[in-house]
Amino acid sequence: MDLPIKMLTTAVAVPVFGAFLIPFAGRVSSSARNAFAVLLGLFTFAAAASLLSPVLGRGAVDYVIAFPRGFDLILHADLLSVFMATVSSFVSAVILIYSLDYISHYENQTEYYTMVVLFLGSMMGLVFSANLLWMYVFWEMTGFASWRLVGFFRSDRDVAKANKTILVTVFGALCMLIGIIMIYANYGTLDLRALHGQAITFTAAVFILAGILSKSATLPFSTWLPDAGVAPSTVTSLLHAAVLVKIGVYAYARIFGVTFAAPEAFSTMVLYITGASALISAGAALVETDIKRIIAYSTISQLAFIFLGLASGNKTAFIGAILYILMHSVAKGGLFLCAGIIEQKTHTKDINRMGGLFRSMPFTGAAFGLCSLSIMGIPPFGGFFGKYLVFAGAAQNGSLGVLLMFLFGAMMTLLYLARLFYKVFLGEPAGHESPKEGSYTMVASVMALALISLALGAFIYYPASYASLLTATLGVNLQ
Amino acid sequence: MNLILIPIFLPLATAAAVLLISERTKYLKEILSSAAALVTLLAAADIFLQLPDVQQLSLPWIGSGLGFTLRADTLSAFLLLAVSLFSAAISIYSFSMPDKGSSKWFFFNLLMTQAFAAGAALADSLLVMLFFWEGLLVFLYTFIVLSQDSPGARRTAKKAFLINGVTDLCLLVGITITGYIAGTMNMSEIARNKLTLDYGWSVFAYVLLLIGAVSKAGAMPFHTWIPDAATDSSSPFMAYIPAAIDKLLGIYFLARASVYLYQLNGAMSIVLMTLGAFTILAAVMMAFVQKDYKRLLSYHAVSQTGYMILGIGTLNPIGIAGGLFHMINHATYKSCLFMTAGSVERRTGTNDLSKLGGLFRLMPLTGIFFLIAAAAISGIAPFNGFFSKELVYRGALDSGHPLFFWAAELGSFLTLASFLKLGHSVYFGKLPENLKNTKEAPFSMLLPMAALAAICVLFGFGAHLPLERFIGPALDSIGVRHGALAGFEAGKLYFLSVIVILAAVINHMLGLAAGGGKASKASDHIHYAPVLKEAYAMAENRVFDIYELGMDKVVPVVAKAMFSVDRFFDWVIDTAPSSTAGFFSEASERFHNGSYPLYLALTLAGALVYILLAALNGGLK
Repeated sequence: MDLPIKMLTTAVAVPVFGAFLIPFAGRVSSSARNAFAVLLGLFTFAAAASLLSPVLGRGAVDYVIAFPRGFDLILHADLLSVFMATVSSFVSAVILIYSLDYISHYENQTEYYTMVVLFLGSMMGLVFSANLLWMYVFWEMTGFASWRLVGFFRSDRDVAKANKTILVTVFGALCMLIGIIMIYANYGTLDLRALHGQAITFTAAVFILAGILSKSATLPFSTWLPDAGVAPSTVTSLLHAAVLVKIGVYAYARIFGVTFAAPEAFSTMVLYITGASALISAGAALVETDIKRIIAYSTISQLAFIFLGLASGNKTAFIGAILYILMHSVAKGGLFLCAGIIEQKTHTKDINRMGGLFRSMPFTGAAFGLCSLSIMGIPPFGGFFGKYLVFAGAAQNGSLGVLLMFLFGAMMTLLYLARLFYKVFLGEPAGHESPKEGSYTMVASVMALALISLALGAFIYYPASYASLLTATLGVNLQ
Repeated sequence: MNLILIPIFLPLATAAAVLLISERTKYLKEILSSAAALVTLLAAADIFLQLPDVQQLSLPWIGSGLGFTLRADTLSAFLLLAVSLFSAAISIYSFSMPDKGSSKWFFFNLLMTQAFAAGAALADSLLVMLFFWEGLLVFLYTFIVLSQDSPGARRTAKKAFLINGVTDLCLLVGITITGYIAGTMNMSEIARNKLTLDYGWSVFAYVLLLIGAVSKAGAMPFHTWIPDAATDSSSPFMAYIPAAIDKLLGIYFLARASVYLYQLNGAMSIVLMTLGAFTILAAVMMAFVQKDYKRLLSYHAVSQTGYMILGIGTLNPIGIAGGLFHMINHATYKSCLFMTAGSVERRTGTNDLSKLGGLFRLMPLTGIFFLIAAAAISGIAPFNGFFSKELVYRGALDSGHPLFFWAAELGSFLTLASFLKLGHSVYFGKLPENLKNTKEAPFSMLLPMAALAAICVLFGFGAHLPLERFIGPALDSIGVRHGALAGFEAGKLYFLSVIVILAAVINHMLGLAAGGGKASKASDHIHYAPVLKEAYAMAENRVFDIYELGMDKVVPVVAKAMFSVDRFFDWVIDTAPSSTAGFFSEASERFHNGSYPLYLALTLAGALVYILLAALNGGLK
């Protein structure tokens, strides 16, 4: 077994099995447990990132454990999976570091760290799986971890919201399973490498889409995501930026972008569904007054732009979508972690009870502003390039209706983020006694994410050429 | 290092350096940024002087066809020269300006704006231009929000950000479509095979580009943040961004889009000229009745944009030359005027016209610079504004739609009338008691004002110089064939302009008589005239402000509607399934009450149903 294959297997195995060792580390001491969890996160990131150079150099890296009836566990590292794994594990590692301070005030920390690392591990399994059945298995594992994490607090309301999360996503996953079975019936295999370039029936595609939309919180399965905001901010950050909602877009890219040639009508349908999703959630973000619900609706709206890029059917848009995933992960992670600092210091999530926080929390405010700019897609931040390329691809796709829907969606993004920043940081202070800035590790984490958003824009050449290479070598049926 | 990179990267690097310098150091930041601005000015001059040897640069950026391409043709080099000139002037002007917020952040914003504006001017690829153009948004916001510690500044910053952000998105989409239709993003390549407005997509794309350009230039109806910024931000900001940089970039790109990239038709020309004429008249009507120095100037900054749009909209060489010449002239005198406003505010502490008066004796130099710039903006010969307006008039007449010509003349009448009122109420008339000890502005403020006023004179008396050295070659570089542009003739147009001057003077006398001799009330006879009074009252209440209208009326309604759709889907995936499931489980619970006869009856009924179904499907086997 040479080094890249070892890295591939450890990137999945270490967090999945390591997660179950966290309770034992917790028996030793709480700081040993925390250190162990952070190390697992950092190691996973290092392992995933170390695969970048082999996949750039020689293409794919594979590792197969044979199972009967074609249900082999195939770990397959190619440009797309390594990209996704690196981004997710990086943001997760930052979130774990931030958690050290943030979560230290609460009970059940052992469960928290176990579930976060398991979440990360199952994400790794999912992205590296080249067998649809195993993808499904890891898919459900992430669902389980998210269920426990959203229900981290034990009040009835929290448990109900956690149940909503799991019920909606499992409903979608079961639909997807039907789709997977239909593929198996048609081709007799679930190995994505063997299915490369094949056609997929409209019905099977729609069943799989139901799973993707429910996981990626897109209309009509979107509303569990804002409700999941009852969880601690680190968890919501994880759900939005690194792991959960990105699973859906990853699966879309994997299944309909680089494996099957999706039917034309299917892609058009996706464009209209996601366009509506972008508009409706942006409208909801303008109405809500809970900071975490606003950012959650913003995620729903931005995910629609990623789908726009993936479903437009041309290379420009696909490159845009890949960049969008990267930029959105970093910036959205930053926004939620900022919201975490604000919530911890002001003891409220209602933006009407904040206002004028910039004076006492300048660093959090600056980080929040920078991340917002990246989400809005303002240059020189990284988000600009994702947004531009996605729009360029949509223009190339040539559907005026879709283009206008997303244009209005992008305008509303400006509106709700500017409103949020203004209300929280600049508006008239509303009866709070100037809360203090967050702790050093927390502020450093959000600042790091904000500055990375800026650096990704300044050095766009590197991510863009990676995304171009990815699209050129793996893309199926792209113009 | 390529010469063309200096105007972009030198200010960027200096801005980063300024952030590292402590707020407490005196003059270090000022010297550093003025030096950077002057070096950039030299580099820009060098780029211009090397023409017709065009400086260009192409670096790999985001994949094939999307390179980082810069190209300094004459129009771009001319624009770069202007951007660098105004940056240097403002840097020096701000040396000892106390009311500009934190000086560290002020110079940071100034330098960043300069770098991004230079990038937008030099870009050859539309995407590179968009990158720099939209990037200016960030610094527009921070510039305003940091210029004053007041709720008004924060609100206005948000307003400016959103208006420009939304129109920049229109520009983004317009650029994607233009690039796709043309098959390339490089403007120099598109221009070889200009796009026409023959089909829907290209009209749509051009209109989006137009929205982006005129919004940046501050034309109606995208202007409403500018008068607000006049009261909520600093004078250097006003003299720099709304008066100079935004106008330069907006009109530059309007000319590029309308002449260089697209081949417009008659209908689009009428649209542009109407937009121009409407902007001239509506904004000058508002300017005329203002009672605040900077606010009055800011409405003129909007109104003058109308002349430039009108000029370019004529699509004939004279008009386009007039539009571009007016762009540079306007930036010069409007920047100078805002600087005089800043000096007066610095020395007297107020910009309220009714509290000022008779300052000419105490601030003679500021007063002289004001008079020169005011004469220039009013189109009085022989200052620069006269010549560029004359070209716009001639272009409008040549376009065959004299209505636009008369609108422009009426605009000039009101412009002069409002500057008579402004000059009279600030510099002449009675000196208020509390301003007896007012001193002349400091040297660092006088110097840039003097330089800009000198340009007003130079470009007036020697109008052939800029027309032959800058405007003519710039037109050549965007492929507009033109005859001689310079030349003064005492023809009908000249006599008409004399009549306009006389009319404005008479109007001012009438206004003074009606206003009881108080110059600040010299506009009241029009302000409170029947019908106009109501219109003005509505305008003051922001009834015509599309931003306030949109934020108050449209956005909440749309957002509420979207939210209720969202709630409907929530009901579909949450409430509906759980209540359905609840209903069935309650219903079946009722049958599980432990009663043996009930279970037996249910079993028999079930068996009966089974037999019936089986019988219908071909009998039991």
